[in-house]
Amino acid sequence: MEEVIVVEALGKHFGAVTAVDGVSFSVRKGEVFGILGPNGAGKTTIMECIEGLLKPSAGRTLVLGMDTQREPDRVKERIGVQLQASAYFDYLTLKEILQLFGRFYGKYVSADELLTKVDLKEKANTTVGKLSGGQKQRFTIAATLVNAPEVVFLDEPTTGLDPQARRHLWEFIQSIHQEGRTVVLTTHYMEEAQFLCNRVAIMDRGKVVALDTPTNLIRALPAPYEIKALVDGKAHDGRLEALDCVVGVRHQEDGTFLLRSSDAARTLPALLGWASQAGVRLAHLEVVPANLEDVFLSLTGRALRE
Amino acid sequence: MLLGTLVLANLKMIFRNRQALFWALFFPLIFVVVFGLFRLDEPPTTTIAIIDRSQDDLSRELVRSLSQIETFNVYEHPDEEKARDELREGTLRYLLILPEGLARSVAANSPVAVNFIYDEGTPTSAVVIGVVQRFLDKANMELVKVDPLLKLDARGVSARHLSYFDFLLPGFVGMGVMTYSVIGLASVMAVYREQKILKRILATPLRVRTFFAAVILAHLALSLAQAAIILAAGVFLFGGTIYGNYLYIALLVLLGNIIFLNLGFIVGTIAKNVNAASGLGNAVTVPMMFFSGVFFPTENLPRFLATVVTYLPLTPMLDAMRGVALDAMPLWEFPMELGLLGAWIVVTSVVAVRIFKFS
Repeated sequence: MEEVIVVEALGKHFGAVTAVDGVSFSVRKGEVFGILGPNGAGKTTIMECIEGLLKPSAGRTLVLGMDTQREPDRVKERIGVQLQASAYFDYLTLKEILQLFGRFYGKYVSADELLTKVDLKEKANTTVGKLSGGQKQRFTIAATLVNAPEVVFLDEPTTGLDPQARRHLWEFIQSIHQEGRTVVLTTHYMEEAQFLCNRVAIMDRGKVVALDTPTNLIRALPAPYEIKALVDGKAHDGRLEALDCVVGVRHQEDGTFLLRSSDAARTLPALLGWASQAGVRLAHLEVVPANLEDVFLSLTGRALRE
Repeated sequence: MLLGTLVLANLKMIFRNRQALFWALFFPLIFVVVFGLFRLDEPPTTTIAIIDRSQDDLSRELVRSLSQIETFNVYEHPDEEKARDELREGTLRYLLILPEGLARSVAANSPVAVNFIYDEGTPTSAVVIGVVQRFLDKANMELVKVDPLLKLDARGVSARHLSYFDFLLPGFVGMGVMTYSVIGLASVMAVYREQKILKRILATPLRVRTFFAAVILAHLALSLAQAAIILAAGVFLFGGTIYGNYLYIALLVLLGNIIFLNLGFIVGTIAKNVNAASGLGNAVTVPMMFFSGVFFPTENLPRFLATVVTYLPLTPMLDAMRGVALDAMPLWEFPMELGLLGAWIVVTSVVAVRIFKFS
């Protein structure tokens, strides 16, 4: 499969602080690639090295076969960049900003078309300052598309948005992807990475600690499922721990047992068998798959958001 | 052309930022209006109350000729006690008392004391006393019927009528251009950096120098408009006079403004945020506003300070601009001033480029 971005042994330090420590990965054409990690993991630094905004201390980055450091302008011509929490000129209208930015490129898309795409057509003549948080983020995404880029970089596109606005934005990002563009995004929301990304690189302290599809990352966990069972009566013996494929058991105040399982398909029948044998009624039964949060926890021993 | 588009966009932003525009145009215009309305250089009329105790021909003649002095407004006060009270209260500043039997004493050749009582708090009192003294000297000579041997023939040598307002007008142009360019640009740069607009520009193929060239060109254009509006207001509304070549004035405005824009860049880079940028901008401009000769000639400063301010950028700009505007001199008559401006342009440009950061 064609590789759109190649990162080779990338390192970046600011003074004595190492932000990125020998990272290598590649992004395939047409995929949504997520860089997931807590704040300070080095996500933004990697993005800005690839975009040509930062000079790497070591290694190199290739975009569409071009070295970012050697041919920054040719790279910039073909990528779209959304910076984390960046704004646009206060005293120009949305339409004027898009027209102006379009002129910075060899080819550009009409402002009206872009604003229609992100549902901001009726705001064409207002300024950025008068937009809501979600509208602002949609506008910054429209601005990244002004040169019809082949690769789009989004740095924490949904940070600070309410859940509804976040959902809405996810749909826009999916539509960008469906137009055949490669999307690279950073996030510290695991559900965002899980929802949007074909592949995810999980970062911690300047290093990539895992890289795969979200499904594979979760499947590789020792206990990719959690079974919640609410038990009527005070039945507890050591036998739950002994059930097939159970990795661990916790029980909560309200009588719910949480069984961590390496294979739910084998644990569930065993659990039901135990219940009928012990004469216990299961008032509630639920199988919850693990998520990227659990992946991060199991890889680093820490929660994603601390 | 891309640069043209960018300049236009910058001008749009400048004109839509009403608050900054207010400082650019109305702040100097306020000074033009205030100094245009209160003509400080025209001598104010002085009111002198007179108590004439003798009421004879000579005393009446003295009062009559005293009231012929242009800047004096003379009237006879009916009540001496009241007049002295008014003097103490400060409602009356000068009181001249002609003693009784003035004509008789003069005829008898005996000297008479003429009392002149004044409010010591009045700044112009020394001048007024001098005028009254000269008036009495003249009266003395006429009374003893001698012609003065030495006569002062004072004739002004100024070929043109220059008023204090004419002196101020170029000062206001310099002040307006300086204030807006330093504080305005510093704030804009601080905002651009704070909101990552500069970084966002860096993520496009646009050349950074094109972006800054557009910012500078737009501000230079604005400074010319500013100068034109200030001069037009001064000349057409308040009768100020510009004797020199407007083209030279425009060139000086541009030269000076390049320095101020560089200073704005530097301040905008050093300052941590927008508020700090405008505070630091004021710290740079306010001392120049007072010491570089906007309101009064720098020669009036203490020697040490006068030497220091010679080297501030606003001083040579104003000196050359006044030479052009008031004395109708050509620009090349100011090699020292132009040299100083050139040196400032080089130094501030190098510093601005050296310290500039995107984020």
